[in-house]
Amino acid sequence: MWLTKNNMKRLFIIIVICGLFSPVFAKELASSPRRIVSLAPSTTEILFALGLGDRIAGVTSFCDYPEEARKKPKIGGMSNPSLEAVITMKPDLVVMTTDGNPKEFEARLRSLKIRTYVFTARRLAELPQGIRDMGVIVGAPEKSDSLAQEIQDGIDRYKKRNAARRTGRSATRKKVLFIIWPEPLIVAGPGTVMDDAIGLLGYENIAVSAKTSYPKYSIEEVIRQAPDVIFVGKASGMDIRDVSRKILNRLAPVPAVRNGSVFYISDNLYRLGPRVIKGIEELTACER
Amino acid sequence: MRTVRFGIFIIAAAMILALALFAGPRMINPFHLSGTEREILFAIRLPRVVVAMLMGMALGASGAILQGVLRNPLADPYILGISSGASLAAALGLMSGFYFFGSLSVPVAAFIGATLVSLLVGAFGWKRGGLWPERLLLAGIGLNFLFSAVLMLLMSVSSDEGLRRAVLWMFGDLSMADWTLIPPASAFVVVGLGIAFARSKALNALILGDEFAHSLGFAVQRERLFMFAAMALMTSASVSLGGTIGFIGLLMPHIVRFLLGADSRVLIPASAVAGGAFLCLADLIGRSLMPPMELPSGTVTAVIGAPYFLYLLRRKDVLSV
Repeated sequence: MWLTKNNMKRLFIIIVICGLFSPVFAKELASSPRRIVSLAPSTTEILFALGLGDRIAGVTSFCDYPEEARKKPKIGGMSNPSLEAVITMKPDLVVMTTDGNPKEFEARLRSLKIRTYVFTARRLAELPQGIRDMGVIVGAPEKSDSLAQEIQDGIDRYKKRNAARRTGRSATRKKVLFIIWPEPLIVAGPGTVMDDAIGLLGYENIAVSAKTSYPKYSIEEVIRQAPDVIFVGKASGMDIRDVSRKILNRLAPVPAVRNGSVFYISDNLYRLGPRVIKGIEELTACER
Repeated sequence: MRTVRFGIFIIAAAMILALALFAGPRMINPFHLSGTEREILFAIRLPRVVVAMLMGMALGASGAILQGVLRNPLADPYILGISSGASLAAALGLMSGFYFFGSLSVPVAAFIGATLVSLLVGAFGWKRGGLWPERLLLAGIGLNFLFSAVLMLLMSVSSDEGLRRAVLWMFGDLSMADWTLIPPASAFVVVGLGIAFARSKALNALILGDEFAHSLGFAVQRERLFMFAAMALMTSASVSLGGTIGFIGLLMPHIVRFLLGADSRVLIPASAVAGGAFLCLADLIGRSLMPPMELPSGTVTAVIGAPYFLYLLRRKDVLSV
């Protein structure tokens, strides 16, 4: 008989020990998810930057950066992700944002006992803390800490460099317009990452008085406000230079167009993620 | 009496036009123009007001024609699927990289789409050597549903921003209006209005029934074809100028009937004038309400048009065409 009294005792001790540690194991498992579904391009980029690319089980059809993100299985769009597609991926964490994902979707996931994390940072200043918080949840606290620090350093660098200009009289500040889409004219308004970046560099966003983040802006008003610099953001799927030819023609009397200060830039600033500092650097092109 | 009313009507329309040209979130004083203001007035305001007027005229007159031809007070030029077909064509054009015409590609694709759909509706409405009102209406409704559904399908599977925004434009936006499209579009509108006005007596007869019109000596099918062609020309031109602007085609003929009577010889030109003035007014409101933001004129027309329409409905005993 192998079940001697002695053996029984040992077995009992082993079971008790396992029982004691099981909450720790469970917590360990829960804190570092293995199958993450990301419902926004920005969180996808952050997850990749944290070196968690191989743990990402699914992304949205808008997630196109970095290149590996394109190869990940798709779960639909940002505003209309497919619940079924998400569930089929058996995620142990779904990362969402307050900037584009429907709130009800999170409630649905939670009612199905799927763990969610909502990334709430929406402004440039909130990004470092947002990355740190997310890093803890996805089990990459050190990496997220260094990424956050990197971004914070970048922000501080520009802040310091432009401190003098930002406190200067507004008349001496460069007036800037950031075009998101030329036809009809949609620009970056208050509360956007673009607006934060423009402010950080000591420029003045002429669309700041608009009431929404991405206002359909009056062309007349652009001519009146006479921006010194115009940035045209990248659009996926088509050549933005072609599409913006007409609007730039119409804005011919504006100093930015007259002086050739129209800059076509990438989509680095469109997503509150690891590329924002690069995006801010792109804006400084207008100083050269 | 009617001439006096018509006179008041024209004066009111002219005043709205002037208001649209000089008023707004920032007034322009025509007697004291700075360089920038001159630029804004001639390069932006004036083409915008002209486009609004042309579109409104085309839609108002098309509505009057179509309600008569279909003998249905609910008809408007969009119910036949012309606008959804135009939007679909513009979207498909952009997806397949249709860019021959540079920034004119969207309007050109929209015009082609609108014309093709008009022909298609006409083909489905054609039987025994002529167009039949019920057939036209049902074919149009069917095609409208089909095109809207395909458009929705394209939108939901596409992640192309440009496409989404271009289609957004199709929902009534005058902010991009400039001089380039005005000459061809006004030619279409003038020809369409001319045909409709010249045949308005026949339309009066058609409204009373095919047999009645026949007994008065009108070639029923030929007249109907003329009217349909005039409507298609004007609606296509309007869609390619600024997308789909709702409610004008439905509403203007009813307002004019209420104010000036149902005689097509007055109804068609007056609906055109009313439509033009109404769209100018809606656009003025759209750009003045939340400056420097602009609200799409299409939404404004529906928001102020629908309540007035319902008010008229309450006041009227019998609805007629």
